[in-house]
Amino acid sequence: MNPYLAVAALVFMVSLMFMLPLVPALLELRRKSDALPLNVVQQHAGEIRHFANSFRTYIHGLEAILQHCVASGSTATGALPDGEEYVVLGRADEPLLLALEERDTIHPVLIAAGVDLVVPPEATFSRDIYAGGQFIGGEKNNYRAILGEKNVHLGVSSRVMRWVHAVGQFTADLGCKLYGRVSSDSLIRLHAECSFLRLNAPRVEIGHATGNSNPTPAEASNGPGTPSRFLHDGDFEVKAGEVFGSGMVIRGNLHIRSGARICGSVKSTQDLVLEDGVAVEGSLIGARRMFIGPNCTIHGPVVAERELSIAAGTRFGTLDHPTTVSAPRIEVEEGVVAFGTLWAREYGQVVASR
Amino acid sequence: MIYVLYSIVLVICVYTGRHYWFTLNRLFGFQRHPYIDIDTADWPPVTVLVAAHNEEKVIANILDALMTVKYPADKMLVIPVNDRSTDRTREIIDKFVEDFPGRIQSFHRIEGKGGKAAALKDAMELVTTEVILIFDADYIPGAGLIKQLVAPFFDLEVGGVMGRVVPLNAGTNLLTRLLDLERSGGYQVDQQARMNLRLVPQHGGTVAGVRLSALREIGGWNENSLTEDTDLTYRLLLNGWKTVYQNRSECYEEVPEVWPVRIKQIMRWAKGHNQAMVTYGLHLLLGKHRATLRERIDGTLLLGVYAMAPITLLGWALALGVFYEGVAPLHGVIALLSLTAYAALGNLAAFFEIAAAARLDGTRKRVCLLPFLILGFSVSIFSVSRAAFSQVSDLITGAEFHWDKTERFRKVL
Repeated sequence: MNPYLAVAALVFMVSLMFMLPLVPALLELRRKSDALPLNVVQQHAGEIRHFANSFRTYIHGLEAILQHCVASGSTATGALPDGEEYVVLGRADEPLLLALEERDTIHPVLIAAGVDLVVPPEATFSRDIYAGGQFIGGEKNNYRAILGEKNVHLGVSSRVMRWVHAVGQFTADLGCKLYGRVSSDSLIRLHAECSFLRLNAPRVEIGHATGNSNPTPAEASNGPGTPSRFLHDGDFEVKAGEVFGSGMVIRGNLHIRSGARICGSVKSTQDLVLEDGVAVEGSLIGARRMFIGPNCTIHGPVVAERELSIAAGTRFGTLDHPTTVSAPRIEVEEGVVAFGTLWAREYGQVVASR
Repeated sequence: MIYVLYSIVLVICVYTGRHYWFTLNRLFGFQRHPYIDIDTADWPPVTVLVAAHNEEKVIANILDALMTVKYPADKMLVIPVNDRSTDRTREIIDKFVEDFPGRIQSFHRIEGKGGKAAALKDAMELVTTEVILIFDADYIPGAGLIKQLVAPFFDLEVGGVMGRVVPLNAGTNLLTRLLDLERSGGYQVDQQARMNLRLVPQHGGTVAGVRLSALREIGGWNENSLTEDTDLTYRLLLNGWKTVYQNRSECYEEVPEVWPVRIKQIMRWAKGHNQAMVTYGLHLLLGKHRATLRERIDGTLLLGVYAMAPITLLGWALALGVFYEGVAPLHGVIALLSLTAYAALGNLAAFFEIAAAARLDGTRKRVCLLPFLILGFSVSIFSVSRAAFSQVSDLITGAEFHWDKTERFRKVL
């Protein structure tokens, strides 16, 4: 073979191999098929009521039909502009409810009721439900999403797959599973054996709360405004009844004994244990597991990076100073009250008080 | 010569391993976002500083965005820090002050030392809140960003917070698309992995926050620093404060659209970073302070990132020299293998990181541009090396650092 030709062939082959990965690159550069900026949510802030608000806007077109059905006590069916089928109920004892009363059936229509809505047990509602009045669900129901303009009550062992918002009170009976967002403008109450992910209301009661239901405003959170901190490397213990005058950062395990009071925020980089009746005026942050004993009072946000266990009688935040309690996994006893948000990123479970 | 080359290859291998470790952690490890769920709280007063030097093209956008964020209006004060602007920046700011009384306070700096750190330092006389957020003027914060950036300060160990930067003009040309990919890798993988592994997430000086008491404790803004963000990261670390990264606190920015501007930008970053390396490197690694062992190691490696460019160039030169000098065959082969290994693995590690980031971002086709990153990489390696050499020559000649502002490309409103 001609050596010049061989060199040329070699150069050609090498160039070809070099250029090969550039072909899709050049095509993409020319076509710009994926050149938009990454989607950054600009308009909302991840509010828990986002889906409920969107749904309210979505069914706005049914308002006239709802009013008509309520006024005439009639029922209407049809489809929204996007093809979503709906049933509008104007009376609580609506004849069409008979169709809903079949057990173990799936109801693939959006249900909008202008009045109180009582749904039968053991049914699956695979489309969103709007209740202009009270919503009372039967036992063992499965829901996609519910928006209630008044109180919403779920029967024993019901499941919600996406979200619930109640303008009034929200109550979940024994053993409900709440997989998405649950919010209320007044109160959320979960009974034993309920599981949850994200709850938000001015007041969230786990089981029947007893004792001081709203800590005094004088104990309000001082949040990140607290300038002074005690920094300690290694495990640390706060003695029973001790009043600690500043916030603390403990780079180790932290054990706060019964009745101690921390006048600031608390951080532990390992496990954090609060015994009975501990009061923390600021936030409570634990980089691993956190155990909050009975009758504690925490005013600022609570974050446990791994697990959080909360005993009966504990209070988080106040009505005037709501807060967030957050961890991937939360186990909470009946008798706990949180003012604000209770958020289990992976799994939250209500257990009976010990 | 060969032993110097071995040392260089060893250091390169350490960085390569680091890239892989971060990427695999990001893909398969436990992801830490501890503060992102704090959505309800007694939100503290906050001051938002907007650094602005000749920003007539962009300043109105950020002030507009800040006036619509979801944060209690009576608890947030915006202070645009107008640093000796000669364009319409002052006029635009004054109009906003007039339109939003009590919510925006102007700070017009007409003299003094140049640079962002110096301007921020002067603006501190107006700051009274414990939490301070900082934005560059070309950023556009979303509605929930302020709460997200404030939330970590409920943790008393946190002195600084950094959010994620997302290029808004990503699709403009090849450069912006490459920078978009680089930013993805840097934030989505690199910063988040450091957060996951409790290493040293870097404060970026924008889409960022700092605690006033921490800032005072470390002596305030360092006006002699070319990259006040890197400087701040290390001073916080050495004084027992953590900087945390919030990957889901995203904010649009504008990236350079022409290469000369990009080169200037990266040269400034390199100089500032190297400056921090000289100032804090040894003390961080061996000194007596509160950083953990893993923070010492990662922090030192992070400080050395920009020094790797001239070191790599030197490695290439040495490898070629050794090869052509015909050193003992075994050495020659090893040198060649070392060079090849770097070319194959070292580069790919960074590319792998960026590809993983593109996947995590859920993008589809932009990862096709990955081979073009060799272009960005080549420009960076020479620019950063040039910056390092000029830094050394400045040291010898006694020339002073000067701060180059990054040019904006947005259309004037």
